[in-house]
Amino acid sequence: MTIFFIASIFKLAHLSSEQQHELVDYIEEVQSLYDEDGLQTMLTELDLESKPIWNKKQSIERLSDHESIFSITQGNTLLVGSEVDIPFEAKPIWSYLDFDNGHEIKVLVYSKVLEDTLLLKVAQPNSYESGLASGVLVNVGMFSSFLIFIVAFLISYFASFRSQRTLLDIKKQMHIISNSPDSSRLSVKSKTTMPSEFASYTNEMLDKISALHGTTKTMSTGIAHDLKTPLSRVVNRLQSMRQDITDTQAIELHINKASQDLNAVISTFNNLVRLNAIESGKHKQKFELVNLSELVNDLALSYEPVFEDSGRKFSHSAVDNVICFGETDLLNQLLCNLLENALEYSSADANVWIRLQSHTSGALLQVGDDGPGIHLDDQPHVFERFFRADVSRSKPGNGLGLSIVKAICDVHDAKLVLLPNQFGAVFNIEIPVSSTPL
Amino acid sequence: MNILIVEDDLDTAAFIEKGLLQHGELVKHVASAQEGILVASSTEFDVIIFDRLLPNMDGLDAVKVLRASGILTPIIILTALGDTVDRVDGLNAGADDYLVKPFDFSELYARLKALTRRKPISKVLLSLSLGDLVLERTSRKVIRAGRQIELNTKEYQILEFLMQTPGQLVTKTMLLEKVWGFSFDPKTSLVQTHVSRLRNKIDKPFDLELIKTVRGCGYIISDE
Repeated sequence: MTIFFIASIFKLAHLSSEQQHELVDYIEEVQSLYDEDGLQTMLTELDLESKPIWNKKQSIERLSDHESIFSITQGNTLLVGSEVDIPFEAKPIWSYLDFDNGHEIKVLVYSKVLEDTLLLKVAQPNSYESGLASGVLVNVGMFSSFLIFIVAFLISYFASFRSQRTLLDIKKQMHIISNSPDSSRLSVKSKTTMPSEFASYTNEMLDKISALHGTTKTMSTGIAHDLKTPLSRVVNRLQSMRQDITDTQAIELHINKASQDLNAVISTFNNLVRLNAIESGKHKQKFELVNLSELVNDLALSYEPVFEDSGRKFSHSAVDNVICFGETDLLNQLLCNLLENALEYSSADANVWIRLQSHTSGALLQVGDDGPGIHLDDQPHVFERFFRADVSRSKPGNGLGLSIVKAICDVHDAKLVLLPNQFGAVFNIEIPVSSTPL
Repeated sequence: MNILIVEDDLDTAAFIEKGLLQHGELVKHVASAQEGILVASSTEFDVIIFDRLLPNMDGLDAVKVLRASGILTPIIILTALGDTVDRVDGLNAGADDYLVKPFDFSELYARLKALTRRKPISKVLLSLSLGDLVLERTSRKVIRAGRQIELNTKEYQILEFLMQTPGQLVTKTMLLEKVWGFSFDPKTSLVQTHVSRLRNKIDKPFDLELIKTVRGCGYIISDE
């Protein structure tokens, strides 16, 4: 419909320009008649031999019948034709003729000087064909506007119906999720009305919230175990002290044990405070250039006898002059925690190593042992707070050591990875290095 | 020693005071930073124990005021904030040491002793000696009963630190801070292992044991 409408407009434009050309040709012919055979012949050609004078009413009648009106004037005197004041136009041009009663008629106006003061003016109405076309065009326009209105109404009705259905869909699925937030997710299938991008972003958000929720749950369990257990033991000790109040030796034993338990609680709190401080990023203001090679060598020398006494074999290697931007104390703790971890969890005769190498995008630090390693199911959780592979929590520690390692890596923009498919626990740390010399 | 305690928590103050009195020290206790500044400016003390979180005024600001008014008495800050950054802030404010609550009394006392013993002259002593043990600082040589003993860097640093305060307790935490520069506790036997190796070299071949263990607290070097 639209194409037809546009095509009609083009056709109309074409018709009006064709009429202009025809008028010019016709007037040229009239001019040549005048030039060759004189005024009378010309008037005959124009059907004006009776030399009529048309008043306004007659002129309007002619124009309404798709007939042209002429005027031939000499000076200011109308010799023959219409009394209507046709404007002088040297080229054929579409114009509106004004009549007294506010009536306007669109005409093609053209003027020709026949000789000296003798002037021929023509006002030609729309050709019948063109009038028909424009009439059709108006109808088509009105019809297509109506059609477009109907279609737009239907589309908007359908869209609002669809978005309402989407909202209902979301409402329904949100209700399902609220009942089981960890396992239910929005459907991202194309057949549902929900935009798939919206669904995937919402799911991503839900995953993150679930992960945070998981951390909080693990932390609560951790606090319950790591704090409640020693505190309960202290309560028991206090009761025993009341019973053994006269036995100095027993009292001393109770005091020592109670102190040990309370120290464990305080150590957990200190580690939590430390972890939060590292995560807050406030250490960054104390960052400076650190020679990582020297730091690794120093720590290796300090830990060598510790590993030796434990029966494990310890080796270290470090390339020279690896400089990074960080805090020595934090980097020391990072390595100590990993070495402590190896000391605690590797087998009694394990090989333990620390290596510092150059890497494509910085330095690669590796702390590892050759067994027995971390169980596959536990690997994704090792950096979580209070996570302990040993569920009985019989070994000392509070499950914060590797969380602190992770936090230290993060604050140094270092990438920490527990390498998969190893015999033991092997941690890789990619640290960005500073090219500035110390 | 004549010691000033600035601490608003009366239980903690009583705990410190009792311990110090048992060691025969003189103690003055005040509960606010303003009083602390006033007393410290009018009376001479050997060491001041300043709590960090005091009502109306941060202990660190009080320390800055004291230092600005020319009071050079050694100051140890007590705090519940235990992170290294806080520690650095404390030392920058002009404090000489920083101890995180809760603490063992022996830890506090050892630090107080170390602070009051830290006379400027000991810094320039070219050699330290105790009985037949001599530590030459310029050549980093250690000689006992005329025999030179080879020590690695950490062993040498531990011995040097112990010999600066003979007869005084040096705690595990103090060694971690001074020898390793750690503000955290690595949990293992790092200190014990190195002290034990040092002992094997310094004491084992000889009759008299110089380095003594104070169980659960730390070490004392003494020839008595």
